[in-house]
Amino acid sequence: MALIDTKDLWKTFEMGAVQVHALQGITLAINKGDYVAIMGPSGSGKSTLMNLIGCLDTPTSGEYFLNDKLVSTLTDDELAYIRNKEIGFVFQTFNLLPRATALHNVELPLVYSGKSRTVREAMAKKALEQVDLADRMTHRPNELSGGQRQRVAIARALVNEPSLILADEPTGNLDSKTSLEIMDLLARLHQDGNTIIVVTHDHEVAQFANRVYHIRDGMIEREEFIDKTGQTTSETRQ
Amino acid sequence: MIFWEVFKMSVSALNTNRLRGFLTLLGVIIGVTSVITIISALEGLSQSIRAELEALGPSTFIVTRFGIIRSEEEFLEAVKRKPLKYEHMEAIRDGCDLCERMAVASHFRVEAKHDNRKLRRVLVEGASAGIIDIVDTEVEYGRYFSEEEEHTRSRVAFIGSNVQEELYPGVDPIGKWIKLNNIKYRVIGVAKEKGSTFDDNSDRFVSIPYATFVKDFAYRGMGLSIYVKAASVELLPEAMDQARAVLRAFRHVPYNKDDDFGIVTADAVMAVINDITKVIRFGLIGISSIALVVGGIIIMNIMMVSVTERTREIGIRKSVGARQRDILLQFLYESLILSLGGGLIGIAIGVFLGDVLIGLIEMNMTPSMFAISIGLIISMGTGLFFGIYPAMKAARLQPVKALSYE
Repeated sequence: MALIDTKDLWKTFEMGAVQVHALQGITLAINKGDYVAIMGPSGSGKSTLMNLIGCLDTPTSGEYFLNDKLVSTLTDDELAYIRNKEIGFVFQTFNLLPRATALHNVELPLVYSGKSRTVREAMAKKALEQVDLADRMTHRPNELSGGQRQRVAIARALVNEPSLILADEPTGNLDSKTSLEIMDLLARLHQDGNTIIVVTHDHEVAQFANRVYHIRDGMIEREEFIDKTGQTTSETRQ
Repeated sequence: MIFWEVFKMSVSALNTNRLRGFLTLLGVIIGVTSVITIISALEGLSQSIRAELEALGPSTFIVTRFGIIRSEEEFLEAVKRKPLKYEHMEAIRDGCDLCERMAVASHFRVEAKHDNRKLRRVLVEGASAGIIDIVDTEVEYGRYFSEEEEHTRSRVAFIGSNVQEELYPGVDPIGKWIKLNNIKYRVIGVAKEKGSTFDDNSDRFVSIPYATFVKDFAYRGMGLSIYVKAASVELLPEAMDQARAVLRAFRHVPYNKDDDFGIVTADAVMAVINDITKVIRFGLIGISSIALVVGGIIIMNIMMVSVTERTREIGIRKSVGARQRDILLQFLYESLILSLGGGLIGIAIGVFLGDVLIGLIEMNMTPSMFAISIGLIISMGTGLFFGIYPAMKAARLQPVKALSYE
């Protein structure tokens, strides 16, 4: 059973008088427990696709089923509910609240799902332990290194036990050593059973996934399967 | 519970920018302060007037030449009237059986002296001895003059507490002399302090028997007021009608003409005062609400800036599941806290200012619950009205656009 199932997704932006087709008929399926990378050069539409998959935006046309529920036609508040319950975001720029402590940042999704304070704290502490930051809970983002900030963001993505962790260029602002740590962490979370989608233009980052969708000009150019012995097979779509 | 969490977010956001918050409050503070001060001043004013009128008692009316004048035309008409005289009081006494007691009084301002002390603009009141039963003048010590003293035109004086303080400091005035227009009177009693409205000192008076007053200050044509006490409060309107009929007949007023005298009751005076203060109240509150509108616009402006500054924060909150309502409330709480804070500070300053003013102009100010609740309601209203638009703007931000905002 597919966790994510999209059928012919289109996204069109009006730029003044010109229509820009950022996505031109994306059909893909991602199963529970998958680790998928979406790759493409800038302007290929991969970020737009991530926004649709992450329920931050709705498609101009086409259907998107998440957990067999049609989400492409939901209202803003219904999408907010889905984002809260089903999706954990990891952004290139971390997107932490600068004035809040690590613990409070991780608690944020739980605040909006109405959990009580004690439950929130317990869950947030557990998530911070999962990313090895138990000793940094009371630090604010500006007191943490880039890698640590991204781990706080990953803890926030994990905390509500979502169906899907969606990482948009998670290593874009990190040095190569820290990037490796973050990718290892994501790999570990995948082994623990989480479904992970990474959007990147970095080939090395994409290699951590089991499968890579290559996007170009708003279409899936090809789908690449990676087995962990290093062999890759690739299939080109028409 | 989520409301409380959102509320805490608002408080902590405001906390990081206290100076800006305070500056934002200034407009509301000024507006609420002025509303509170004005309402307190007006309440205090009408209370002190009411207190003076209550001295008249609910069953008493006063017949005067002018009555209550409401316009210039009325005034020009009234100055043509013949003054009221002692004989008019006698006519009422004989013709109005519902009128229980009556007295006359007339007044005049002169300089009063004792030894080498002087007091200017002292109100000299010539009154019938019976007036003490009609107008509520309390005797501090000594006594009021008697009917006997009135008949014999004795030169005796009953003085107000202010006259006693100014002319007889540290001395018992009873039995001493007081000079009015170089005529000597013997002081027989001192009145209890009444307090004052504005600068008109109600305790700076000397009461002498009416007959004596006529003898010593008998200027031609000088009018008097007739104080009448009806048999009961219920019979007051009928007593007034009777007295009116008697006076019209006595003064030969044709049936198709208006009264050439006025009848005043405490209620009627109070009604006029209320009319006036109502106009003043709405006028002044209207003016001071301009400050509130300005305060509201400042709040709105700052909230718009705040929404723009925190676009990314809004995007983050939305990406982790904040609904429109959660964002709306967060920003609405901020403007409400700001305006309510301004309101509370304004109320505190207004009440304090009231206290200071009491000391400065000896005016009775009452910071009433009414004024305070008005202050709270308008400041909250301002916050809500001017906060809703920025909050809606924040709530409706698209998460994708908010997240990519630089």
